[in-house]
Amino acid sequence: MNTAMDDGRQEGPGEQTLSFRPVGDEDPAEGRADGASDAPDAFDAFDAFGTKGRRKPARGGRSAPAEPPAPKTSPTSEEAAASEAAEAAISAEVAADEPSADPDAPPSTEPAATTDPATTDPATAVPVASDERADEADPGAPVDSADVSDALEPGKPAVASGEPADEADPVASGDAPTTAAPDTTALGTTALGTTALGTADLGTAGPGAADPGTAGPEAAAPGTADHEAEASELGTAGPGTGNPDAPEADTADPAEPKPAAPPHEAPAGDPASKESADGTTGAAPAEGGEPEEAGEPEAERPSLFVKPAALGGPGARKKAAGAAPSAEGPSDAQDEGEQPGGEAVPGHPKVEEDLPAEAAETLQSALDTLREAVADLRFGLDLPGVEEARQAQADLLAQLEGYVLPRVRTSAAPALIVIAGSTGAGKSTLVNTLAEKNVSRTGVRRPTTGTPVLVCHPDDRKWFAEGDLLGGLERVDQPSPEAGLRSMVVVSTEKLPQGVALLDTPDIDSVVEEHHEVAHRMLDAADLWIFVTTAARYADAPAWGLLKLAKERGARLAIVLSRVQPRSAEVVLKHFVRMLTEYGLGEIDRFVVHETKVTEGRLPDSEVTDLRLWLAELSVDEERRAQAVRETLNGVLNSFRTRVPALAKHLEGQVAFRAELRGDVEAAFRGALGEIEKASKNGSLLHGEVLARWQDFAGSGDLMRSLQLRKRGRAAKQAPERVLAFKAAIRAGLESVIVAAANRASEEVVARWRHRSELGAELGDGLDRPSDNLVRHTGRAIASWQEHLGDLVRTDGVAKRSVSKLVSFDPDSLALIFTVAMFSGNGEGVPHRLVNALLGAESLRGIGAKALSDLRARIGMLFDEESMRYVQALDSAGIPDESVATRLYQATYNLEVAR
Amino acid sequence: MTTMTTRPGLAPRLSALTKVVEHGPGRLDRKLLDEANTLLQQAGERLKLSSEHTVVALAGGTGSGKSSLFNAISGLELSPTGVRRPTTARTHACVWGLEGAGPLLDWLQIQWRHRFSRASALDKGDSQLHGLILLDLPDHDSIRALTDTEADRLIGLADLVVWVLDPQKYADASTHRRYVTELAGHDAVTVFALNQADRLTKEELAELVIDLNDLLRREGVEHPSVVPTSAVTGRGIESLRSVIATAVARRRAAIQKLEADLHRLEQRLGKAMPLGEALSSPSAVDEARRMGLTDALCDAVGVPAVGEAMENVYAERSNQWVGWPYPRWISKFRSNPLKSLRLQDVEDEIRGITTGSVSAQSAEVANAVQALADGLSMGMHPVWRTAVHRAARSRSAQLPQALTEDLAEVAPQLDRVPAWWRVLQIWQYVLVVAFVAGLAWLAVGLLVPGQLPPALELLGDTAALPWVGLMMASVLGLGALSGIASRNFVELGASRERERLEREMRRRVAAVSATMVVEPVERELARHHAFYTAMRDLSV
Repeated sequence: MNTAMDDGRQEGPGEQTLSFRPVGDEDPAEGRADGASDAPDAFDAFDAFGTKGRRKPARGGRSAPAEPPAPKTSPTSEEAAASEAAEAAISAEVAADEPSADPDAPPSTEPAATTDPATTDPATAVPVASDERADEADPGAPVDSADVSDALEPGKPAVASGEPADEADPVASGDAPTTAAPDTTALGTTALGTTALGTADLGTAGPGAADPGTAGPEAAAPGTADHEAEASELGTAGPGTGNPDAPEADTADPAEPKPAAPPHEAPAGDPASKESADGTTGAAPAEGGEPEEAGEPEAERPSLFVKPAALGGPGARKKAAGAAPSAEGPSDAQDEGEQPGGEAVPGHPKVEEDLPAEAAETLQSALDTLREAVADLRFGLDLPGVEEARQAQADLLAQLEGYVLPRVRTSAAPALIVIAGSTGAGKSTLVNTLAEKNVSRTGVRRPTTGTPVLVCHPDDRKWFAEGDLLGGLERVDQPSPEAGLRSMVVVSTEKLPQGVALLDTPDIDSVVEEHHEVAHRMLDAADLWIFVTTAARYADAPAWGLLKLAKERGARLAIVLSRVQPRSAEVVLKHFVRMLTEYGLGEIDRFVVHETKVTEGRLPDSEVTDLRLWLAELSVDEERRAQAVRETLNGVLNSFRTRVPALAKHLEGQVAFRAELRGDVEAAFRGALGEIEKASKNGSLLHGEVLARWQDFAGSGDLMRSLQLRKRGRAAKQAPERVLAFKAAIRAGLESVIVAAANRASEEVVARWRHRSELGAELGDGLDRPSDNLVRHTGRAIASWQEHLGDLVRTDGVAKRSVSKLVSFDPDSLALIFTVAMFSGNGEGVPHRLVNALLGAESLRGIGAKALSDLRARIGMLFDEESMRYVQALDSAGIPDESVATRLYQATYNLEVAR
Repeated sequence: MTTMTTRPGLAPRLSALTKVVEHGPGRLDRKLLDEANTLLQQAGERLKLSSEHTVVALAGGTGSGKSSLFNAISGLELSPTGVRRPTTARTHACVWGLEGAGPLLDWLQIQWRHRFSRASALDKGDSQLHGLILLDLPDHDSIRALTDTEADRLIGLADLVVWVLDPQKYADASTHRRYVTELAGHDAVTVFALNQADRLTKEELAELVIDLNDLLRREGVEHPSVVPTSAVTGRGIESLRSVIATAVARRRAAIQKLEADLHRLEQRLGKAMPLGEALSSPSAVDEARRMGLTDALCDAVGVPAVGEAMENVYAERSNQWVGWPYPRWISKFRSNPLKSLRLQDVEDEIRGITTGSVSAQSAEVANAVQALADGLSMGMHPVWRTAVHRAARSRSAQLPQALTEDLAEVAPQLDRVPAWWRVLQIWQYVLVVAFVAGLAWLAVGLLVPGQLPPALELLGDTAALPWVGLMMASVLGLGALSGIASRNFVELGASRERERLEREMRRRVAAVSATMVVEPVERELARHHAFYTAMRDLSV
């Protein structure tokens, strides 16, 4: 099957069928169209049946034969099914007659044609239809089946159980070859043909069996669904691959020999059809050049025999089961090299796990690293965009933990289909209808759903109830008011096919904004998105926002347009489709739900048939599902390429911002120091009181008195108050210079911060003044500096020997004179000359340098203390760690490598 | 809103807003200021236009049935309806009573071809709607609306807005978050029409109306007026018409709308610039603060020190003139340390130092100004605080220089020599001469008595010698005494001079600071006061 898919046939058909079903805007498969043209009458009749009425005549025609009867009859009774099958077969035959003429081999063509329509129609129409098809196919099968069935019979149980596919496979494959051999004889492709036949049989048998046996009790539709499920399992297990191929082949046959492939796929949705298709497909590939022929011959046989098979009931089923595996075998064989052998089996595993274990491990560890790096991310600063970044981080983390990691760990896990959309769009109603159970509350109040509800098949329940997927949400069984948004209701129902789970989410656009976030979180964990909008809402901005997101993420998407008034359906649809197409989403699967009476929170079943089929296809067609899962996963991983670096970038921005702010602080205080330096050099310190005191000191003779001739030996007489006042004035002057500079620096820092951003303004709040301690600390620092200077003058300032012999001086006064000399700047003037003469140039320079550097150091300490306040403010806002950004880049790179 | 009627009229509040806007630039957030301007402009324009007409806009999401309601109310198929979304892209208007509505429609920028008129001929029963201009707006929530702000604009301009909701979209964030929560206080001019009621059963409708009412109340609409309607069945159309008719008949909607807008703006202004205790902040610089500033500036100039220095220097220098000369002469014989350091010229320079004038220390000036601004702006909004500081500092670059220059004029000339010093010096020298003369007499009397010519006989009279000695001693004593006395005089004069000097300097400092600091600060304070007065008037 893989191969077949690779060929591109599958995809083609798949898309077609899907797209055509829902919207019916485009003519689905060309092949069908052909088929339709071939058997126009039949189609018309079917049209009438067309439950949805969306199909165009051509399709309807095809589908019609199978569909109408299928849905209604099949569910009710086996007999009915049988009869339907018969009818179908007949119709098929009828239809086939015409086509048969066209192809080379009339007989072969006929059956092919019949099968095709049958398969396609049923597929599109309803699961039930598939049964019918199967029936149809059966006829063909019988020929082979006779043989096969016998041989296969052991396989029956497997079929019955459904799951034992694996077991069945071997058997089947074993049988298949044998059966195939006989069948094949006809053509070179015989092998294929036989297989095809075999599959056809199986398919038919499957449905048949289902209807009478398993299906019997249940509604036809569900029955079919189940069958499909089983069949799919079988198919997937072994035949899985075969199935897709098969349908393609079938459809192709009827429609167009060459394009056959695409049309075939269409039916793929229905397991039964697939099965039958398998048979055919097997044939088709085998034929290679001429799918028609191959398919036809096989088809013929089946068609002929089908009826009997179908009639055969249980036996048929078993056979079918057996056949199915066989078919797979062959189909695979064909794909690879026409070896009916066990190749089929290897094919499947491939689908399931596209990554070799080693690669998966690497990927996982890369993702783990990424997760850690993302988790370590801290955005401390409330810069613009930080909320978004934090949100993005949380989203990323949640998506990694809740989706990517679990998904990579177990790629075969069931697919999670998240149903998202506007409030009041009918998400819950849709889920209820699909689950055939009121699992999610519906109502007229908006928004209705507050707690996400997950619905899955009982077999998948474990995975969802206990798995890591959406691990952040507490699982509950019942929706309750207290459950809230942090939990998720998990409900299981048999009505949903296996392998797919539906998640009903809160809305994306109601007043309750928490809902939006939860919905997006859910979407982050989705394998597929079903986007639900309504005829009244399809142009809403939030809706398109979500579509844009899906497009960006590369998520697999299906769109449901609900609440469409039947009378305006066409206009609305056309318009919507045009909008979608313009947006580049024209290819997306679309479904229409009409505005109907909602009873007990559910829609009439007929409204969701297509969706159900779509789900069934997903369920059955493991490869398709796996592909969808993989695509979405890839999309998510791709999105990491930009999302993670964006986070890292923001972090870097924060680091840079912080550095800038710190730079501002440093620059401001460096500027302040410079100012003081300047003031200490240009003499501006010697203004005001200092100047007056100096004049006082000098003019009052104190200056002279401080110098005494040594020989007099008299201690200098001082005028202590005056010296002290002078000293105090100098201290005050210095202090004021420092405080003024600090004032200016503080203001500058805050101004700069404010200028940078709002956050800067916030951080700088209350810091635009120096600390209250500054004045006190400055006073103390200057006083101790003066003290230090006095000491320096006393100790280092050993006067020149020649002088000291003559003169003694008062060190305190001399220190003052020295200070004046120091601050007067130019190396001239009285004080300078005085101290120079007293202390000697060298000693003067030494003391000067020491005193200056000491002063600088003290002021530096003061300013350091001041700037610490800013740094603390910055730190209190959080310290971004730059290394995390590097780690993020590294992790992104590693992830890319691991992929 | 009953409270609205008790409020003072719209006009005073609008003029208060004008004042707020006038004083706002640079103080208020630019966006808020723009909005205030827009509202002022809008109010001015709307009040100038027809007060006979009431503009009622039907607003809502796409598909809610605005056009259907529009047609149902007007009774004509004026606005095309459809199932495609979005249907209406241009605003349609229907006018009941066309005269005078033209300029209003122009103002609303309704295109000519989308204007319709219900001439009175057509509708007998529509007389109560006379004066209604009904607008069918485009939606505000479709992808089209992302690039089209027409709905937004008209929702802002309409006198009465009818929000057309439907069962599917009535709780959309696009309606509630963007508009309804913004409309708190607009109860009187907002109506909610729950359209498409025909889609619901009676029970469902009842539940939904309750839910909607709850929702609206939660969002701050105190008395939501919800009218269930159905354009299809015609149900509720009459009630809606009558709600509209009431509003139209009262001719108050335009005023109420503006009042509500004003109220909302006022709330936001109040949040941005809370009135608080702002009005108790000083609106002028009081005497104490002026004194404080002057004191601080005097310190910066060193006024007390200058005075002291003057005193000391005078006392020292006066010694040279009026002091008893003998000790001075004796000290001359003492060896001068400067001389031994070969720094004799320094002595002159030291004397020169004392001739230096007064100057202001700029750092201290800056601190003084800062302190004033800090004190005044305490408790103010940071924006205003910054503004006060900036105003205080506006001329601080020139301030030290100005102070220095101004005070230089009165600075004491420390090297000046008063005339009486010279007289006293002569007196001292006279005394010295007398002493020397006495000394000579004594010498003559003692050494060569009797050998003198008769004219000088007296000199040789030894009997006079004791008297001479006495005289000499008293001359010395007189010198010393007058030295001490004149020194005291000098000191007295100096201290008087100092007082005068300090007074003068203070006066000048105060004058300079008044023009260079206090004035700009008071301008800012006045602005602050005016702004908050306007804010208070706006919110009363």
